[in-house]
Parts: sequence; C-alpha cells; structure tokens
Amino acid sequence: MNLWRYFLGRLLGSLIVLVGVSILIFGVARLIPGDPARIAMGPMASAEQVELMRERLRLNEPVVVQYGGFVRDLLRGDLGISLYTKRPVTSDILSTLPATLELVIAAALIMTLIGVPLGVVAARYRNSGVDRAANLAALLGVVTPSFVWAIFLMLVFAFALDIFPIAGRVSRSAELPPTITSLLILDSAIAGMWPTVLDALRHIVLPAFALAMGGLGTAARLTRANMSEVYDRQYIQLARAFAYTEREIACKYALRPAMVPTLTILGLDFAIMLGNAFLVEMVFAWPGMARYGVEVIIRKDLNGIVGTVLVISAFFLIINMIIDIVVAYMNPRIRFQNR
Amino acid sequence: MKKTYGPLIAAATALLLSGYAAVAPLSAQTVLRLDEHAIGEIDPAKATDYADSIIFYNIYDTLVIPAAGGTDILPHLAESWSIDGQTYTFTLRDDVQFHSGNVMDSDDVAFSIERMMALGQGFSSLFAGVIDSVETPDARTVSITLTEPYAPFLGSLVRLAIVDKDAVLDNLAEGDYGDLGDYGQAYLTSTTAGTGAYTISSHNPQELTVMVKNANYFLGVPAEAPDTVELQYAIEPATLRALITRGELDIGDQWMAPEIKAAVSAEEGVSLGQVAGISSFYLKLNNQRPPLDDVHCRRAFALAYDYDAILEQTQVTEEIAFGRRAHGPLPLGVLGSDENIPAGRFDLDAAKAELEQCQYDPGEHEIQLNWVAGNPIQERIQLMMQLNLGELGYDTTITTTPWAMFTELAATAERTPHVSPVNFILTTPDPDSMLFTMYHSDAVGTWASVDWVMNEEVDGMIEAGRTETDPATRAAIYRDLGNKLVEDQVSIFAYELVGVFPIREVVHVPALQDEGRTYAVQGMNFMFREMTMN
Repeated sequence: MNLWRYFLGRLLGSLIVLVGVSILIFGVARLIPGDPARIAMGPMASAEQVELMRERLRLNEPVVVQYGGFVRDLLRGDLGISLYTKRPVTSDILSTLPATLELVIAAALIMTLIGVPLGVVAARYRNSGVDRAANLAALLGVVTPSFVWAIFLMLVFAFALDIFPIAGRVSRSAELPPTITSLLILDSAIAGMWPTVLDALRHIVLPAFALAMGGLGTAARLTRANMSEVYDRQYIQLARAFAYTEREIACKYALRPAMVPTLTILGLDFAIMLGNAFLVEMVFAWPGMARYGVEVIIRKDLNGIVGTVLVISAFFLIINMIIDIVVAYMNPRIRFQNR
Repeated sequence: MKKTYGPLIAAATALLLSGYAAVAPLSAQTVLRLDEHAIGEIDPAKATDYADSIIFYNIYDTLVIPAAGGTDILPHLAESWSIDGQTYTFTLRDDVQFHSGNVMDSDDVAFSIERMMALGQGFSSLFAGVIDSVETPDARTVSITLTEPYAPFLGSLVRLAIVDKDAVLDNLAEGDYGDLGDYGQAYLTSTTAGTGAYTISSHNPQELTVMVKNANYFLGVPAEAPDTVELQYAIEPATLRALITRGELDIGDQWMAPEIKAAVSAEEGVSLGQVAGISSFYLKLNNQRPPLDDVHCRRAFALAYDYDAILEQTQVTEEIAFGRRAHGPLPLGVLGSDENIPAGRFDLDAAKAELEQCQYDPGEHEIQLNWVAGNPIQERIQLMMQLNLGELGYDTTITTTPWAMFTELAATAERTPHVSPVNFILTTPDPDSMLFTMYHSDAVGTWASVDWVMNEEVDGMIEAGRTETDPATRAAIYRDLGNKLVEDQVSIFAYELVGVFPIREVVHVPALQDEGRTYAVQGMNFMFREMTMN
C-alpha cells in the first residue's frame, strides 16, 4: 500500500514536471534565432508564400494562444507537421523512436550485465591485479567519448576484422516481422524469425557497446565503491564466520544494499543515453530519433523540437519513476520516509 | 548440482560472431546503393533539396527536360509546343502511363499546376504570379497563359512534376483544402503517383528510399540500368568510407571531405566522377553596409582574396578539384555565362590603390567576416581574408553562425555581415533562377541575396532577361549583366563548384563520368535509367 501511494506521488510529480518542460521548450524553441517559415520555404519563396506558411504555423498569434493550440492538438495526439520532413511529427517520432529505444535498451543491458559484475569482481578482489585491471577498463570506458568508441569499434570489428556489419539496423535482404512492439529483435523473436533475430543482433552489438561504454565504466566503479563499503561492515564478517561462500555473501548480502545508489545512477544513465545516442546513431547509420532531434534544431523546426524534447523528457521521467520504485522496494526506509 | 552457463554463452557468442548467413542473399537483380546528406522528400510539390531532386527525376516526369551538356530545352511528356505571345500550348504524348496504369492526359497537367500552387511549397515560387490560366481543350492539349512575358517559364517547367490526378483524388485525407482535403499530401509523402522510370518500393525519409524499375516506362528502361536503387540518408563520413571500400555503397555523396574522397578513390575499383557548371561559390559583400557601399572598397576586398590559394584547398587529387576558376556570377555552360569575363586576381598592391579611391579609411569600420558552422573551408577562407584585409589596415572579427541564425541575420541589411560565404546551385537550367534570387531588389532578405545589391540598373537587366524570348538576345543580356556585376564587384566570385563523387566501377554514370553529358539542374545527373551496372 505504501509503495502504491509512493507511486501515485511520483506520477503526479512527473506530470507536473512534464507540463513545465512543455512550457519551457515551447518558449525556448521560439527563442532560437531564425524565421522557421523562411527557412522552410527557402530563398526563392515570395514574401506572400512565407507569410502564408507563418499563418499555417500560427506564428503571428501571441505565444500564449500558440501554446493553447499546441496543448489542444497534443491532447488529440497531434504534434503538428514537421518542417524538416513535411510529415506529422507524431509519425516521425513513432518511426524513429523504436530504433533508438532498442539501441538504448541493448546498451543498458550491456551496461548493467557487464558493468555491475565487473564492479562486484573488483570489490571482491580489492587491490589485486583483477581490481586494478577492472578499474582501468572502467576508467577507459568513462573517459572515452561514445563517438570515439563507435568509430574504433566500427573500424576494428566491422571494417578490419569483418565480424559485424558496418551500418544499419538489419540487412536489406532480411525478412521483416509483423509490427507488434516495433522493437525489431523482440518482434522477430515473437514471430519466430530467428535468422532475422540473429541478423538484428549482429547489427546492434557494436552501436550498443559504443553507447554503453561510458555507463559501463560508471556502473563498475560505483558498484565496486559501494560494495567495498559494505564488505567492511560487521554483518559481512558475521556471514563469513557462519561459513557462507564468498559468492553467497557477494550476491545475497553485499550486492543488494550496494545496488541502491548504483541503480539510481544507472537509471539516469539510461535516460541520458536517449539523448546521447545521436553520434553513435550517426556513425552506424542507425535510423533512430536522436539524429532527428538534432536536425530539427538546426532547421528550427518548432514542432519537431517540441515533440522530440517532450518524448525524451517523458521517457526520462518514466525511467526515473521506475528506478525510484525499484529502489523504494529494495530499501524500505525510502518508502517509510514518504508516508 | 552446480549450474554453469559457460558453454551456453560460448555457443551464443560463436553463433553471433560466425557471420552466419542469417538472411537469404538477394537475387541476381542489380542493386545500386548511393547516399545523400539530407533526407529525401518525395512529394514533388514540396521537393527542393538535392536528395529530393534525385528522387523527383526518377519517379516523376516533366513536360520538358534540359539537353544534356547544353542549354536547350527538349520535349519530354510534351511532344511539342508552340508559343503565341504569353500563351504556351503543349501537345502531350499519348503513350504515357502513370505507375497506377492510368493514362496521362491534360487534366493531370492542369491538376499538377493547381496542386503545386495551392500548396505553395517547393518550387512553386517559380510560378507564383506567373501563370494566369490553364486550359485543357482536349486530352492531349494544355494551354498555359502567363500574366506577362516570362522567358524562364520553359526552363522552370523542369520543376513541375506531372502527378496522377485520379490516384491523388482517390487518396485524399482530411485537410485544409475543402473538397480536396489535404490535396493528397499524406498520400504523396509515402508513395508515388508519377510516370517515372522508377517507382517507390519503400520510403523512410530519414533512413532509406528504395526504388524499383517501372516496366511500363514510356521511353523504356534499359536492361543494364539498376533494377533496384537504395538511396540512404545522412551517413557519417567515416562510415561512408568503410561502406564504399567494402563494396556496400556504389556512389558516395559530394559532401564528403576532400581527404576522405581522396582516400576512397585510392581504393581499387573506385574512381571519382564530377559534375560542373551548375553551382558557384561566392563571398557575398554587403553592398548596403559601409564601407562596402563604396565600389572601390568592394574591389579592394576582391583583390585581397587569394584565388589560387583557395583553389589549392579544393584539390581532392592531383587531377581533380571541387573548385575551378569562376568567370563572373554564372557557372560556365549556363545560358549567358561568359568565359571572357576575367577571373578574379589576388593583388594587394592593386587593392591598396583601390582603397585610395574609397570614401572610407580602413580604420573607420570593423569588418565582420562570417562563416556558417559546419563548413570548415569557409572558416579557412575567412581566416585568409582576415590576414589579407589586415594587410590593408582593416580590423576584422570572424563570427561563426549556425544556419538558422544566418538566415535570421540575412533578413536585414543592417545585421547582415560584411562578408558571407554562400554556395548556390541552379534550381532550373535558366540563369534567372540564380540571378533573380541573388541580385534582384525584390529578392533581398534571404541567405542567397546577402549582397543586398538593390541596384535599379541590375533590376532592369534581370527583368529584361525575363521578358526577352529570343535565346540569343537573352544570352547577350545576361553576359552584359555578368560584366556589370563584376564591374560593380557586388560579390567576390570565388570559384565554380565542381561536385566530386566517389563511384565504384560496378556502375557507370554518364552524367558524372562522360564529358558533355551533364544536366544543368540539381539532381538530374542521377537519372538511374541512364546508368549501367555490371
């Protein structure tokens, strides 16, 4: 019951933040220099044509009226027409978001499934060669930008060794599954199209690793630091005295409390990756939303900017909410503090 | 029992790394793969960009087309035409079918014009205020009457795609156009209703457009032309290089950095194709802002531009460069271009002599040299200008502006920088599309017209070129205009742009690889039906 109330509180808070973000980005998008109507129409358009476009975009109306119209359309699921693609922003986002989500989910899995165990091993063998090696690997992950990893991984594993494909989400000749979730790997698996699953997995490995490397290093270092602290506590000594195996101590008694701060940071990393995927998507020609987000800003595509930021913000809030709930579940003190 | 996942993980990794033939290989059909920097717009009434134009000329047709390697306008969907004063009467071919199987007739032409003008996007500005009425006396005849004599009209028609009226009307969605709903915008943003040699198989404007041969094309499509074409968008240069080298991309775009093009062309089986005569690069001088409102100061600036040094920077290989000497405002080959107009020269002593005649002393004004972010060669040019103008005694600041900001600055003469680099590509084969847009007083306030010429004599010459219908007389008018613009030094005519494209030997692209086969229109050099694949 406490968890339920906690969830409702977080949901309400998130909605308020989302409304705030929508007002902010609606205003900020209009402050970016450049006349969106003129940019969209090009240098050959007459003043009348530019004016007509301005009217279509409601740019001649007061900003408050524009925002009112935007909210009305938004409630109908209409984010307007993109001046960049000339298509509904909703369609643009729906056609690109799944690719980005799939990439970010894969990167988050790599970040968690490799980063956390790396931290656990480093903590378990503190100050040993294994610890130092894990520390070095983690540091390398943190300090190297994702686009450098992207180019490095592509050149080595795709171009030179020819193990993975260079670009794209799936081979052109692949048979595509019926759309259920829009996540290609999942949809292919549901349809039992295993060759397509394998092909899509081969395509996602390099971009996902490139995107995950920074977070992987963070996860490893955080897990190592938090577990080292837990290992110094008396109940761990007690567990050892009771002849629990080191694996049981690590997994059952040290990792769970150590994971609370790590999970919070991983959640933030996951959301940040949605925005950071741009360069990785560019390098691997990944048909995702991050690239779309940058293009709409460069071209001052007002509807595109607002739509993209709102979607990223919504995901940021959803992921944070999920992480908060998981953390609250793992650490009852948080639930009780919020009663 | 102790669980162990080692063998399972090892097996999965081996399967992933094995390069297992996860998907069936393509059939023996030929597939041409190329890329473009920007996304592709397939609605012909909205298309403007390079990628849009490539798609446009493959999935749609126009009443007329320009001659390869020349300035003539040739029949295409119209088999002939006559001009009676301001009325152009076209006789249409009777053997043209749309991709739907519908036969093309005069109603389709009239509808295409109405649709383009109603949407008011793309290249509709070429016809805005120009067309008075369209009549269709019979299925094969279209009469278009203009509001006033307008010589660029025929050339402008290469931007009017003929769309399938019945197909569009059958696929209207809700919209702002009354009974015409959205005028087929949703429909034509995802599919084609044209007559072109290729038809759209799939289209994602941000990732990939796939086109396949149209077996019913009225001119026929040679068997050697690619069966399928995959046009990919916005691939990062390092990735492009890898794709071309591995044989996964056949034609690279012209926007790659010269060093990457050079590296790619050094690979076995890759050569460089070129297209010249359709675009130029200018350093636009703000003619309304002191000290550049004085012609002597403008001439001094032009003499301080080191043409040879910059051309060296455009060198891709020893033989191929993406720039060549400019002779006035028009690229050579365009109607009215004149190779007798002297190319610019770098001479600081002559620049100092011009400054002596300028009403302003160099110390009176700080000069703003602008470049648009993301164009490193523009930065290099402005650094060179800063150095040379410093020799003349000018204080300068170099500013970097994002594209959107530059379009904002271009809106008023007061805010437009003193010197702004601009590329301009011909949108139609007619010189008016370049000269009016850049130099007529009615066209000021855009990024293309940041010289703010606003000169009555220049306006008069541009208007005379518009109303004169005799091509030889028009050419003479434009030659005079070119000389006038050079004499007034309204811009620094830096160099003609040459598009340089890495091309794998599996494909032959006549318009890029055979001299004299170039079309003077953006995108038209990529007509896939003219290409052959091994």
